[in-house]
Amino acid sequence: MTDAPPLERVRAILRAAARIASRADPLGAEARRVLPGTTGLSPEGVELALREHLETDPDEASLERLVAGVSPAPRAHVILSGTVFTGALRALALALAASPDVSVRPSRREPEMVRLLHAASGGGFRVVPELEPSPGDVVWVYGKDETVEAVLRGMPAAVSVLGHGSGFGVVLLSADVPDDSLARDAEGVARDVVPFDQRGCLSPRIVLVQGSERSARRFAERLAASLAEWEERVPRGTLDDTERADAVRYRDTMLYSGELIPAGSGLVGVDVSGGVVLPPTGRHVHVARPTDLAATAFTLARFVVAWAVSGPEPLRELAAAVFPEARGSALGSMQRPPLDGPVDGRTRFLRSARSG
Amino acid sequence: MTPVERSDALHARVRALAAAKEALSPEEFDALASDIARFQFETIPAFRRLVLARGGERLLARADDVPAVPVEAFRLSRVAAHPASADEVRFETSGTTGAARGIHPMRTTATYRALALAWGRRALLAGPGPVTVAALAPDPGANPTSSLGFMMRAFLETFDVASSREGASTRFLASPDGVDVAGLLRVVAAAEERRTPLLLLSTSFALVLLLDELGGARLPLPEGSVVMQTGGFKGKTREVKRADLDVALARAFGVSRASIVAEYGMTELSSQLYEGTVPGAELAAAPGILVPPPWLRVTPVDPETLAPVEEGLARFVDLGNVDSAVAVVTRDVVRRRGPGIELLGRSKDAEPRGCSLSIEAMVLARSAP
Repeated sequence: MTDAPPLERVRAILRAAARIASRADPLGAEARRVLPGTTGLSPEGVELALREHLETDPDEASLERLVAGVSPAPRAHVILSGTVFTGALRALALALAASPDVSVRPSRREPEMVRLLHAASGGGFRVVPELEPSPGDVVWVYGKDETVEAVLRGMPAAVSVLGHGSGFGVVLLSADVPDDSLARDAEGVARDVVPFDQRGCLSPRIVLVQGSERSARRFAERLAASLAEWEERVPRGTLDDTERADAVRYRDTMLYSGELIPAGSGLVGVDVSGGVVLPPTGRHVHVARPTDLAATAFTLARFVVAWAVSGPEPLRELAAAVFPEARGSALGSMQRPPLDGPVDGRTRFLRSARSG
Repeated sequence: MTPVERSDALHARVRALAAAKEALSPEEFDALASDIARFQFETIPAFRRLVLARGGERLLARADDVPAVPVEAFRLSRVAAHPASADEVRFETSGTTGAARGIHPMRTTATYRALALAWGRRALLAGPGPVTVAALAPDPGANPTSSLGFMMRAFLETFDVASSREGASTRFLASPDGVDVAGLLRVVAAAEERRTPLLLLSTSFALVLLLDELGGARLPLPEGSVVMQTGGFKGKTREVKRADLDVALARAFGVSRASIVAEYGMTELSSQLYEGTVPGAELAAAPGILVPPPWLRVTPVDPETLAPVEEGLARFVDLGNVDSAVAVVTRDVVRRRGPGIELLGRSKDAEPRGCSLSIEAMVLARSAP
């Protein structure tokens, strides 16, 4: 692969991913066997992710944008997080667009997807326990903010570091709409919550509602029903100790401070007075009806990685203005951003060796 | 009885505990906790919802069963049995960037004050003799929003008779610009002149700033002086380990490490815990153990099941919280130890996986009142 141009290197990793997405391929079968154990997702959750969230067939324009947005480097290194296993593909595509010489340190929690991609690509990159970048190399690090900062501190000065830290998705919607529209919106939000059991930073965890108290409650009830329906088809996987404890915390907080609606294995919390608390991952959604939606959205802005809007154009303009670096998507597609670059505009050079 | 009359009667029973010589029996504690919980169940719809969802009124019979209100609720909504128009004070938590502040409204501060003075006296004062008090904190003024500032002022006004002549404000020796070293030198000189020990009240961070200002110089305190330090370094740019800070303070002030005492308090509580190491003080316990007063019960609980464990989240039943939440669960992790608890730090819940954010400090906006 050393001699192949960047676009070809990216296409090669996409072909490898397509093998894993395919149930008929032995590696695809293996993926379905091992990934529930390392991701905590149910087998149905893994299937959903492989079938609909592994971007194996992007359009040509997206690929060209991805390659054009990456600066060449002698070597590229990747540190992956374990939250969204399909994220390994985008991370690898970006790294391979930068260099034919790519090393990946997989997540300790979920190393299988990298191993499968490595096998499917015929060794198109190296899997390493620790990175050893040299001056001029570029390092992509994905994870919580503390991880990104720790990696940055530990890297030699002449190494470029790009980081993608913590965040979550937000939905802004107008709830004073007919029942069928409200049901469509609720289904769209549920569609974005269910994949990866909401562990990805693109997944919506907060819905800010514009409309009457009654409409806000009606939407929350409809959303809870949609999540319960999804649960029948794609059961939630296992939560870790932290997630379960956080769920209890959120439950009791909302029992006291708002309203709580069971939603399959998860919960929908409602605060029609506009209070906003971030619910934990695991298919929990907080629905708030702020008196000043713009001000509340602004408060969230520094954490928001992805947004979607259902409502009049001014609401969309507000989201675009308040979350300028976040990925805007249609409702129901928040966890399927085109493979045209990093997932959002917040992935950036924390240190550029070239710019000093 | 009206709600206010019921509240007043409960407050009177709790304040009586502050003056009592005998500790409460577990049954007496349960009885009073149950009465307060029932009062809150009947006057606070939010608490009623929590209780009913968690198992119903039968949970109100024993202190350990009363559903605990997460501290996040204080950030998200009003936690009070009375209307906002009846608030005497609203104590606010120190906020972190992007997060809403918690508010603990109080209809009366008389109980808070009585409890703080009673336990503070037993933990911090070596005897009945006079003491000079100073605080490395900003003056809370006439309308305090900091429960710590309110408590410091109560200590100043009550324990230090001289401060009332000079004005308690002159003893608050910090501002947003830093600590007032010259002011502290004046207070130390005055204490020596009066031949009294100094009780220096401070946050840990202010003590670090003071040591920075001293730049290695010593500032010996009068014999028998005590330093009360509280709080961590949340939201601050620097952190210093407790042991290192104690060594530096003991050296700078010329006091024993036993005279440097940790206090643990929270805006959401009406009671405080102390180390019991001050020589000659009524409260005696090994270093590192935070001892609750008789009107406060601390139980480590499992973060998921909320069942009692040896090491877990701190669940408080605070009889001083008559008008707010008698049972509160925090994110601090504690371990049972001797007559009290050992503070182990923050919950691992605060450590999110991958690029996710945890709900730690993530109450981002309060509900409209």
